[in-house]
Amino acid sequence: MSLGAWIGVGIGAAIMAAPLLWTLLLSLKANAELMRDSGAAFSAPYTLENYRSILQGSSLVQWLLNSVIVSGGTTLGVLTLCSLAGYAFARLEFPFRRTLFAFVLLGLAIPEQAVILPQHQLFAQLGLHNSYPGLILPGLVGPFGVFFMTQYFKAIPKELDEAAMLDGASRFTLFWKVLLPLTLPAQATLGVFTFLASWNSYWWPLISATRSEMFTLTVGLASAQMNYAQTSGLGFLMAQAVFASLPILIVYIIFQKQIVRAMAGASVR
Amino acid sequence: MIRGALLAFAALSAAACAPEDRRTEIDVQRFFGECGAVYGRSTDISKAEGECGIVTTLFNGFRARNRDLKVDVNVVAWPGYAQLAAQIAAGDPPDLVTMHQGVMSDYASRGLLEPMEAILAQAGIRPEKFTAAARRGVTKNGRIYGLPWDTVGGLFHINTKLFEQAGLMRGGKPVLPSSAEELLAHARKFKQATGKPYLIQSQVNDPATHVRNFYTYMLAQDAVMFPDQDHIRLRTPEAKRVVELLRQLNEERLSSRNQDNPAAIASFINGEGGVFPTGTWMIGAFEQDAQTPGRPLYQGYAVLPYPRLWGRQAGFVDGHAWVMPKRERTPDQRAAIARLLRFMAQHNFDWTRTGHLPAFEAVVNSAAFKALPHRQDIAPLAQTGSPLPGYVRRQGPIEGIVGEELGAAVSGQKPVDRALADAERRVNELLSYMP
Amino acid sequence: MSIGGRRAQLEGLAFVAPFLLLYAVILIYPLVAGVVISFHRADLFGARTFVGLENYGRLIGDPVFHQALINTFKLTILIVPPLTAITLVLALALNKRSRSAAFFRGLFFSSSVLSVTIVTLIWRFILTPDAGLVAEVLEAVGREPIPFLSDPDLTIPALAVTTVWWSLGLPMMLFLAGLQQIPEEIYEAAALDRAGRWTTFWRVTLPSLRRTMLLVIMLQTAAQLQLFGQAQLLTAGGPSGASRPVVLLIYEMSFARWELGYATAAAEVLFMLVLTVTLIQYMTASRRWEG
Repeated sequence: MSLGAWIGVGIGAAIMAAPLLWTLLLSLKANAELMRDSGAAFSAPYTLENYRSILQGSSLVQWLLNSVIVSGGTTLGVLTLCSLAGYAFARLEFPFRRTLFAFVLLGLAIPEQAVILPQHQLFAQLGLHNSYPGLILPGLVGPFGVFFMTQYFKAIPKELDEAAMLDGASRFTLFWKVLLPLTLPAQATLGVFTFLASWNSYWWPLISATRSEMFTLTVGLASAQMNYAQTSGLGFLMAQAVFASLPILIVYIIFQKQIVRAMAGASVR
Repeated sequence: MIRGALLAFAALSAAACAPEDRRTEIDVQRFFGECGAVYGRSTDISKAEGECGIVTTLFNGFRARNRDLKVDVNVVAWPGYAQLAAQIAAGDPPDLVTMHQGVMSDYASRGLLEPMEAILAQAGIRPEKFTAAARRGVTKNGRIYGLPWDTVGGLFHINTKLFEQAGLMRGGKPVLPSSAEELLAHARKFKQATGKPYLIQSQVNDPATHVRNFYTYMLAQDAVMFPDQDHIRLRTPEAKRVVELLRQLNEERLSSRNQDNPAAIASFINGEGGVFPTGTWMIGAFEQDAQTPGRPLYQGYAVLPYPRLWGRQAGFVDGHAWVMPKRERTPDQRAAIARLLRFMAQHNFDWTRTGHLPAFEAVVNSAAFKALPHRQDIAPLAQTGSPLPGYVRRQGPIEGIVGEELGAAVSGQKPVDRALADAERRVNELLSYMP
Repeated sequence: MSIGGRRAQLEGLAFVAPFLLLYAVILIYPLVAGVVISFHRADLFGARTFVGLENYGRLIGDPVFHQALINTFKLTILIVPPLTAITLVLALALNKRSRSAAFFRGLFFSSSVLSVTIVTLIWRFILTPDAGLVAEVLEAVGREPIPFLSDPDLTIPALAVTTVWWSLGLPMMLFLAGLQQIPEEIYEAAALDRAGRWTTFWRVTLPSLRRTMLLVIMLQTAAQLQLFGQAQLLTAGGPSGASRPVVLLIYEMSFARWELGYATAAAEVLFMLVLTVTLIQYMTASRRWEG
């Protein structure tokens, strides 16, 4: 890379990093000091008090566990459903294939706010509020995953299928033993993005999980704020942000290689 | 982390296998934040600080004294109405909920709340003992729909050091204007003497600021804003007068501009302006600075009700209340709720340490309340304070619309007449389309 | 595609059935239920009066809705092209196997892990004219602070900048992936032709990325037309609705005003709009490639 490009990236990185660094600094400051002057974040003394308060929060472990279960469940569900559907849309011939695929893509245009209330009433009739299935199911129907997996399956050479079928493998064995392992990088990518979206989702858990023992981390941390937390608890708020984001950042760092490799295979041909 | 998860899992399954709890159970849902970390086990109410600390300790205290009851407290993210609406729509509301008195009009008129005269009687609470403002706040169309818990409203928080500098102190007390002209005169004098704006106002992302000022002075002039439940009237000389004053203050830069609420708070405690008109809830934080040597507000803070500029002394107020969404309840549950209400009413004084005004006349007159800082100065608001008429529905959205249009007028984006006309049209349209 | 007869056809349906079933029940049914509600005056709690097209008629004459539509378009136009350009440049610069490139990829991705609550909190403190970072910098060079969050001409750009900062991760990753797909041989051929760097970029790289580009643009357009959280938390749609996008209006209509019928009507209009815009993008692009 040329010097100019490095300088450009460097400036971009600084713009990118400054707010993040600042968040970290704020989270290490006493709340009272910040109320007088948010600029105080740039100078000592720093303290871990905010993080201590978070860890002492009686329900925090429960909320963390809920978030892990919900995000993990959503991710597993999306990967399963989208791999199955993506495989069929890409490589099988069946009635209404094109129509059904278009029907799925239609979903990309549906705003969450347009369906959230009828959805809420449906889940009430099914008795699913304040339950893990109630929190997981709405996350499973996003069309992006189907689209993404379809593209990836299309990219795998057709000859593989024919060879396997000649060996007498069933359609499912072919899918399970031959093709699925090839899509692992795509699974990692879709998995990370699904996990991320689920981890940060706010509106659905807010109105579906109304009992504190079912709160996810985002909703739980929001309930801990008072109405004017911005002024009286800025440091605490930022500590919460750091605390809630760390798990995903770790997941990303672990899967970084797979993600880029995956997209190379998948992206859209 | 995995070990922690496993432990939590084990705890969960243990809880699931525990012997069945046969105690009477009630579900309470509240805002005011979650602070189990600090107050999780504390039952010493007098030691608790802040809204969250006090309310948490109160519930701990109630549980300790009523071991035959199972009280589940659910803390929701502020202000919790989206969740409550969803819960009611799903047919599963809690037994007792915190609600703003202004919001109660909507839920009561839609038949979603229980009238509470009977259960208050069962709890031995007599509505005649409420303060005037609290009684007005929980009465909707002649019925009482809640146990009022406080009155909250706008006050003039004052930096007396800067007032001194501007020659606006007399006998150790701040001098407030008694007419619009005098307000402008004071503000100009203040600015000349200190170089700082007379008013600090949170005008960004905060429609409540202008609405608080506007409603207060409309009430003071006895202007009829809501002739009936379906109409607002804003194209009046009374309204124009108030908005033009606010606009003038902005235009001459006698008020701070471009500040949102956190910025305005920081600006006031750093001594960058004379008066910060904001709510009762800030008294505690400001008083703390007023007692900290070295701070700009040190020994230089006073707080008073809004001054009378036109008509009579008035203040637009709201308040918090405990309400009961309509649902099936057993007589045992009713009795349990009555006991909880009684306990809350008995501890109304503890709640007023948050800065909010008491809901009971007896607390206003108590020595303990008067001994709290500044409370004698602001107590009149418990009498003069007034909410919108109980029949006005959608007070929150109306505040949003009125605040938005007033904001445009005050900042000079729109002529005053047009902003008032637009606000009137938009609110009337909102009210005309009720299902 | 010729393998199998009737059985294979049924198998195909069996593979897509689990997703389609859930999709139909959880997403399409509520959408249709919403269409039905939009023909009623309805509140959140089951009150329903049939009014035909009244809600749609109201939308046509509602200046607040018009303003929200215009704001939504402005936001989309201010966000999608810069976001696409910036992430493309980043991908080109960071498409390397070095450690530093991996570090920078991680850095530019990292904002995507934050939830909208935190993103807006951070940007409030950057943009607020009173004590924000930008204001401090301007003050240091002796300039007046800029009221990003209260000047009606600046709130939409402020929201756009915040959103671009927050959304770099996914498009950058998609472009990186697209770049890795381009076969080495094409570049070698270009090198043999003594093509310059710009020529290579315009003749080889960009055309090979056109499908990725279309995907990024369509996904981002659909996402930004539905922008919500940033506006709600950073400016509350103000001042005077100058930064209120359609989804924020829908949210206010349903949860604050309880006008469920009117809100769903607005939501259906938005749905049709997103659909139309993305379809037009798709068709324009495909026609150009085929022509």
